[in-house]
Amino acid sequence: MGKVNITRRNFIKGLAATGVISLIVPSLSRRKELFSIPKEIAAKYALIIDLNKCVGCGACADACRLRNHLPEGQSFIKIYRKETNGREWFLPVQCQHCIIQPCAWVCPVNATYTTEEGVVLINEARCTGCKYCLVACPYQARILNEKTGTAQKCWLCLDYVLGGGEPACVHACIPGARLFGRKDDPNSEVAKLIASGKAVPLHPEFGTKPNILYYVPIE
Amino acid sequence: MGQTAWGWLIAIYLFLGGLGAGAFLIACTIEWAGIRYKYEFCPGTLVGAGISGLVVGIGSLLLILDLGAGKTQPWRILWMFIHPTSVMTWGIWILSIFIPLGLLYGLVELLSQMPSWDAWLRSKLPWFKASWRQVKRPLTIIGALFALSTAIYTGILLSAVGPAIPFWSAPVFPGVGIPMLPVLFLVSAISTGMGLVFDLVGTIALPEIIRRYPSLPALHLILIGLEALLIGLYFLSAYKLGGAGAFAVSLAISGPLSLVFWLFVAFLGLFLPFVIHVYAIGAGQHSPVWGIVSGVGIITAGLFLRYIIIFAGVPAFL
Repeated sequence: MGKVNITRRNFIKGLAATGVISLIVPSLSRRKELFSIPKEIAAKYALIIDLNKCVGCGACADACRLRNHLPEGQSFIKIYRKETNGREWFLPVQCQHCIIQPCAWVCPVNATYTTEEGVVLINEARCTGCKYCLVACPYQARILNEKTGTAQKCWLCLDYVLGGGEPACVHACIPGARLFGRKDDPNSEVAKLIASGKAVPLHPEFGTKPNILYYVPIE
Repeated sequence: MGQTAWGWLIAIYLFLGGLGAGAFLIACTIEWAGIRYKYEFCPGTLVGAGISGLVVGIGSLLLILDLGAGKTQPWRILWMFIHPTSVMTWGIWILSIFIPLGLLYGLVELLSQMPSWDAWLRSKLPWFKASWRQVKRPLTIIGALFALSTAIYTGILLSAVGPAIPFWSAPVFPGVGIPMLPVLFLVSAISTGMGLVFDLVGTIALPEIIRRYPSLPALHLILIGLEALLIGLYFLSAYKLGGAGAFAVSLAISGPLSLVFWLFVAFLGLFLPFVIHVYAIGAGQHSPVWGIVSGVGIITAGLFLRYIIIFAGVPAFL
């Protein structure tokens, strides 16, 4: 009575069940952890580009290229020459560090992620260089680094920022058209400018809620 | 011109994916309709099934060639299986199931039409008693689902970029929420599959093929007409989007891509096969030459249609 008959068959069954349970239970609890991260991670930093001041000199793009060791002619910042009513102006564009990220959704290897600071980064150890994100980025802000074969883009020089500095493009900007600061500190210049409603996202109709904003000429 | 990240390799892949899926679906239709069993030799199923896994497989190799780091470090590709929000992840699942199924169907079809090979195999595998027809029933049903998925997902792959490239996400009709490319790619896949199986290979192997399939030219005629209609609607709805969408349409119909469009897609792939099929209905027979012209035209148009869609993909942000 009470004797458990351990046949080889039952033993293997038990072993398999233990294996399955030990795999499933931790992954379920981990899933819960993953799902508890809020979908919209509030950005702590913002970069505002003053289009009244930008002269299109390209110092930001050069600083970015040197800082990130990119080949000649490549940069994470592209400067578009525009013209309205006969007046020439320049539009520098880099990764907009969006809160809603088409680039992250389309990535087949889930290589794009957001840091606590709201900075969008690429896990280049995973990236296969399929270029789906280059195509899906509404701001066309990503490039393929031919040397590494991976997608790359502006990372707001997060190493400088976390060390108390500012991104290389902000530091290099000659007319001082780039304003970088903490979005969550109401006394900071960027927070005041955002609160005034004068700093607006580029192409808000894309619906991606960028963290890079533009101070547009008021005419 | 349009975006530069994706080029020829992707266009050829989209074409081969559609061709293989279409060929598979045609072979399945011949099988299900029972026409396969009316004759000893059935070139339609043999070519349709035989080619499906091969061309989709070649297309997938082109996708790997187009990768950056994934080409030199192929193990990175394994990560592609686990991010379900990406249509490319759907694609890698669909392809890794469809390609083996296509190759298997091709092999089964070959064995069932080659009695000597069949006898040799069965002598080696005495426990294998099922008839090939029994094997093909589940194989064609599951395979056809994945063939449909292959043809449709390639369209979703492009239209999923949303506002970034309006030309790719243009709706079926102005103001409707469903993108056109999945529909267009499915119709084009079936059309190129028919062009290959019936017009090209069918007429070479069996000039009297039209007598085996009396309703075929009419069906194909409807399909060509539908494809022309969908391309027209597609351009209309992309044009209605304005901006980059309208610019993409102008590239295709009056800009640098217009020669390719009007010559290879509109004339060779739609108009000429249409006329040839109307004539074939009247005459009750394809002349071998015109059958080949029609087949080559339809297949070429399938390739250049994807070429135009890829290269005219103008980003909304200029």
